Amino acid sequence: MHEWNFLAVLNDADLLLLGLVNTLKVTALALLFGVPLGLALALSRLSTFRPLSAVAAFIIEFFRTTPPLVQLFWFFFALPILIDVRMTPFIAAIVTFSIQSSAFFAEVFRGGILSIDKGQWEGAKAIGMSFSQSLRRIILPQAVKRMIPAFMERSIELLKTTTLVSTVAYTDLMFQANDLAQKTFRPLEVYTIVALIYFVMIFAFSQASIAVEHRLAKSGEGTLR
Amino acid sequence: MQHTWDFASIIQNWPVLWVGLQGTVFIFLVTVTLGLSGGLVVGILRYARSAALRWPATTFVEVFRNTPVLVQIIWFYYAFPILTGIEVDPFLAAVLGISLNTMAFSAEIYRAGIQSIERGQWEAGKAIGMTYGQTMRRIILPVAIKRVLPALTNRGIEVFKMSTLASVVAYVETLNQAKLIADLNFNPIEAYTAVALLFFVVLYPVVQSTYVLERMLRKSD
Repeated sequence: MHEWNFLAVLNDADLLLLGLVNTLKVTALALLFGVPLGLALALSRLSTFRPLSAVAAFIIEFFRTTPPLVQLFWFFFALPILIDVRMTPFIAAIVTFSIQSSAFFAEVFRGGILSIDKGQWEGAKAIGMSFSQSLRRIILPQAVKRMIPAFMERSIELLKTTTLVSTVAYTDLMFQANDLAQKTFRPLEVYTIVALIYFVMIFAFSQASIAVEHRLAKSGEGTLR
Repeated sequence: MQHTWDFASIIQNWPVLWVGLQGTVFIFLVTVTLGLSGGLVVGILRYARSAALRWPATTFVEVFRNTPVLVQIIWFYYAFPILTGIEVDPFLAAVLGISLNTMAFSAEIYRAGIQSIERGQWEAGKAIGMTYGQTMRRIILPVAIKRVLPALTNRGIEVFKMSTLASVVAYVETLNQAKLIADLNFNPIEAYTAVALLFFVVLYPVVQSTYVLERMLRKSD
């Protein structure tokens, strides 16, 4: 029977803390770039200009149907050969997860925008608003409210996907765990603690998103029935 | 800056990639079968009236849904053997991580499907003398599963993509073999582009057919 010893892990807690901070940093930055990019992709896909909508549809489908780990390897190992950039694991992670999550956010935006009644567009047009004015003032404020649950779910998925950056040696929580497991020869304790950290963090986010969903359902804008 | 694409090196190494593709398909079939059938059991337990059945199922679902699948695979590879003394090879670690994760996600899909069936169906089953198990098997599940079919296919697509994570513990699948080709031939750009294209070519038609399936089901409902 194995004798549990968490002391070795706790002595190096600051290592894990640094990893946790980096995990959150990558998630936050990918969200920061991924959400606007997702909106741009959604609007392009909805555009009546066929070439633009076809290109956007291709980008969205391509990044939704290829594994994120393959994308990460492509941006980290292949892109620097194609264009002359110095790629760090950090930049590769931000680029990959921004684009990857934007493809999913684009579908959330598109669903939200399409769910708004056509009469709203016509109403805005009737009082002389341009396309971008109606989008900004009338459509998006309503659509975004409906999108919040799907948006939060995607963000949680993104947080889980960021563990992949450990494979290109970025010091996120997962990478620090691998490091610490090798150093302390205590893989059971290290990986159990790290799994717990992820669980507590993601569980808290999931509960929060469920609470928000119920709150939205009460105000009549939820996706719950 | 000017890169000359050279896919010939990939074609030359096709046997290497082919072994990887077989590995991907094999692990996909194993994990998707275990995940979707195990998920059905957990989903039914999640719906059970007895708290003793419901609680373990709920705990299982929450644990595996709220931790990253890579953490699960690594945990089964490095931590699980210490705890149990069972030897775990890369294949088993990946299968455990991916199928348990898929079980948790699909359990929620099945549960949503079962809950979406009106109470009257249960009452009707009871009225003609069916037991709980009979009503579930003959009346509720056939309709419930039909309703959640699009969600289940989406899970299947996710599982196919997730199979690449097995490369992290050095299970021989497509990405792992591409890495090998890239390291030996110094052609990461062609190797990884080829893998991305392979996945796209396989999954794009599947995704499109799920849209068709969704439309067909909506019409028939």
